[in-house]
Formats: sequence, structure tokens, C-alpha cells
Amino acid sequence: MLNPRSRAIRFIELLLLTSAVVLFIVGAILGDTFFLRLATEALIFGGLAMSVDLLLGIVGLLSLGQALYFGFGAYLSAVVLKEISPSFLLAIGIVALASLVLGWVASFIALRSKGVYFALITFGLAQVAAKVVYNTRSLGASDGMMGVPILQIWTPFGSLDAGQPGTFFVITFLTIGGLYALLKYFLTTPMGSLWHAIRSNEDRLPYIGYKSKGPKQVAFVLAAVVASVSGALYPMLRGFVSPELMFFSVSGNAVVTVVLGGVGTLIGPILGSVLLTSFKSIIGTWTVHHHIVIGIIFVVIVVSAPKGLAGLLVRRFSKIRSPEGGE
Amino acid sequence: MMDRVEFILKASNLCKRFGGLSAVDNVSFEVKSSGVTSIIGPNGAGKSTLFNLLSGSFMPDSGTVLIGECDITSMNPEARLSVGMARSFQITNLFFDLSVIDNLRIASQALEPHSRLFLPLSKSVIALERADELLEEFGLVEARNQLAGALSHGQQRRLEIAVTLATRPKLLLLDEPTQGMSQADTQETAELIKRLGLNITVLLIEHDVDLVMDLSGTVIVMAQGRKLAEGDPNQVRSNPLVQTAYFGEELA
Repeated sequence: MLNPRSRAIRFIELLLLTSAVVLFIVGAILGDTFFLRLATEALIFGGLAMSVDLLLGIVGLLSLGQALYFGFGAYLSAVVLKEISPSFLLAIGIVALASLVLGWVASFIALRSKGVYFALITFGLAQVAAKVVYNTRSLGASDGMMGVPILQIWTPFGSLDAGQPGTFFVITFLTIGGLYALLKYFLTTPMGSLWHAIRSNEDRLPYIGYKSKGPKQVAFVLAAVVASVSGALYPMLRGFVSPELMFFSVSGNAVVTVVLGGVGTLIGPILGSVLLTSFKSIIGTWTVHHHIVIGIIFVVIVVSAPKGLAGLLVRRFSKIRSPEGGE
Repeated sequence: MMDRVEFILKASNLCKRFGGLSAVDNVSFEVKSSGVTSIIGPNGAGKSTLFNLLSGSFMPDSGTVLIGECDITSMNPEARLSVGMARSFQITNLFFDLSVIDNLRIASQALEPHSRLFLPLSKSVIALERADELLEEFGLVEARNQLAGALSHGQQRRLEIAVTLATRPKLLLLDEPTQGMSQADTQETAELIKRLGLNITVLLIEHDVDLVMDLSGTVIVMAQGRKLAEGDPNQVRSNPLVQTAYFGEELA
């Protein structure tokens, strides 16, 4: 019954879920740390890429500064964990609320313009924020903040030690999965339809009774929250934050991840992040010039599959259907 | 409703200049409730600019537009929808990479309270029903799940009108609805407009003079930004001013 596109999305969801379960079990048996931590990092940056995809693939807004919210979440989380209490829920809660406000304020600046100018404003905002953080002594300036304590996570079944790579992997998986479910819910609402309509033909919207500003603002704030909450997980994994988290390379990487995984699918970028993070790590053990290799892989994929990995799957599922008569 | 002679739309002394060009120059007219009124005129007569002033796409330099008792001169297009005015576009203006049914659902969404925007789509029952209704009415049932961009030109023009009608406007502004249509499609659309005119008020810009004369109760003729003549089709046809300015020799 599902169309090829929904089947491709379902396929990626199941693929990621299965891989996560297998990795968790194998990791637990072998006592692995490296791959579990690598996968956790991939999911965290996947959350960032997902927020870029919400803006780019659903609403049609190219953000070149999503690292601003990612870095904001990371720093705020580090501060909360170090200065207030090493509590997972407290850090995530504070970051979610604060990013709601930050995203709302920033939306008034960024959404004044469209197209290339929107991209440049988001880029500019992130650069300004990165410079500010880079020069703020109380945030560790260029060194960033170290010594973020290991979390104890309270659950009804007892306290969990997030220092265990397997435990924190599961927590990250559930958090990013929760954000994905939240965005997917929005796509089933009329608000989600309006986002698609804006991407498709923004100028028509007033003549069916809607200003485009409101729905764009909702998406922008939501993307800020998703990026920030993803960022909040970073110091929990690595134990430190640094101003590089806000640099353009992080924002740019997120856009590349989205293109690689499949624009407009939300789950494609997570898959893209898993693959890109793995490539980087594997190729990084062979050569220090891993950026060149990744660049070549990126070009090959974009040329051969312009709609990303998700697009490849959609094509595959359409082919399977058509001999049977299909639609 | 025919016994009510009151106007639904009243434009008074509308002016719009673009630099040195007076695109619309002191135009006034009334549109009566129900039926079809048409605006015709040669290229560059100011029809489209007038339309844009009426629908809120442009603001006039001076003059007023009333819907019933309500002054809508400076209202934006989305607010005009809520007082019952909707417009279509001469160049098909749809959500091309969305399906036909999604185009209609999104266009119908304004019938629902704003609070439903954040609930699952299935709660927007009124909008969903309206979309299905329009699908039937405009013969697009088979194209339901096709992308709007993949439809034939005639189907796209029909969908354009359907989208405009989604919120059940009282006054429908149609900007050259048969533009680029085949003869058969044009005939079909004319029938449709006639049917629409039985229940709501239609204001039409059209190039096809024969079509206009056949459809309209009232015809307004424009030339060089001014209103040249107004009346029923026969009056307009026999008006010597109109003949020289617009019809030329062929109808004389």
C-alpha cells in the first residue's frame, strides 16, 4: 500500500533500528567501546543534520548556521552539568527551553529575508556567536570547557551510569529517535502541510488564507530545538565542549550529510551521518588526508544519486513495483 | 437571490501609477450579488492591475474597495479571504510538487480553526471533506494522487479554480481562466463558470470576447487604464466607443 518513498523511509528506519540493536548486543558481548562511542557521535550529528533537513528539505530554507544551536546546546548542557547538577533530564530540559527562546528571537532576524540572503544571515549569526564564545574567558575561550562530569541518569528502575558506552548509546538513540518522532508528528499535521506548501510555492499561500511567516517561524524554532538538544548530548559523550562546535565546518558538514542521506526525508540525514562518521573514522586510520577521500565519495554520490541514499532506495522500490502493474 | 440588487463589490476612483504610467486611472464600478461580471479590454488596458488592486496584490495610490459594507482597500490577501474574496491566477499558480489532493486540502485548511494546525490532519474533517468534494466537482478524482505539476494544462487550470474555491468565497475573481486551453476545455470551463455564477458572484478577466459575451450579465470595458463602457453584452457590443477602441472592424 505504501508508496516507494514511504517504503524507503520505513526501510531506513528499520535498518537503523536493527543496526543499533545488533551493535548494542555485540558491543556488550565483546566489551567494545570504540564503535559504540562512534555510533553515538554519529547519532548526535545526525540530530543536527535532521534539523537542517527540516528547514531545507521540508520548508525549503537553507540554513548555513545550524551549528549555532548545536553549539549553544552543547555549551549550555556543559554549564548545567558542571555548575548545577550532573542530571540528564535537567540539562536536556533547560537546553530545550532556552533554545526555544533563542530560536524564536533568531527567527525574527533570519526570516526577514529569503533564499540566499536567509542562508547568509544564518551563516553570519553563527559566525558571530562562535566568535563571542571563542573570546569569552568564562566559557573557556578558545580552549572550551573540559571536565564535564559523567552522568548518573535517574530511572524508575534505578540509576544508570552514562559512563558506560552501551548505556549512553541507548540514551542517545532514544533521544534522537524521540526528536525524529516529534518532527514526524508535525509532518502529519496541517502545519506540516503548510511547510510543504511554502517550499513548493510560497507566494501562493496568502491567497489560500495564510501568511507564510508563522509556519516558517514554527519550523525555525523547532529546528533550533532539535539542533540544541542534539548538541546537549555532545558534552555528555565527550566530556568537553569547544568553540569549534559552532564553526562553519560543523554547519557545512550537516548540509553535506543531508544531501548525502536524502533531502526532505528526515531519516536519510541520520543514515548519512552514520555513514559519513564511519567513513571519516575508517579512512582516517589509513590517511591523514581523509577529507580528500570523503570529498571524492561525496562528489560520486551526488553525481550518481542526486537525491541521496534515500533517493536511491526510492528508485529501487519503484522498480520493484512497476512490473506488477503498480499505480 | 436575484431579487437582491445590492452590490457585493464596489470600487471607487481607483488609481495606480507605475512611474509615469497610469495603469489604472480613476476607475469606479459596482458588482451586483450573484452572476458573472467580466472585465475586457485590449492588452495593456489595465485589467490585470485592476485585478491586483481588488485582490490585495497591489495597494492603490488612491480610491477605495468595498466588500458589502466593509472597506478592504488596505487589507492583505489572506484577510480578504476571510471576508469572502478569493482569486485565481492567469499563470497557473499551484503547489506543483504536491499531489492534487494535497493542493486542495491545504487550500481548504483555512475553513478550520487555527488550533487544528497542530493536530493530526485527520482531525481537520471539514477541510478533508471539502477537498474530496472539489475533487469530484472538478473531475479530478482519477488524478487524486498525481503531482499537480504532472497534470495536463487543462487539468491544471481546473485545479487552479478548484483551489481558489476551496474556502467557499462569496466573490470569486478569475484571471483569464481559459488561458491556453483547448477549444473543448474552454467550452467546459465556460459551463463551469456559468454554474458558479448561479450561487456566487464571479468577476472575470477574459481575452476571449465571444466567451465573455455568452457568459456575462455585465461587461466592463477598459482601455488605457480607464473604464470605457459598462453594460449588458448587447449594450457594450453596440457602443461605438468600444467598437473603435477594442473590437475594431470585425464586429462593426
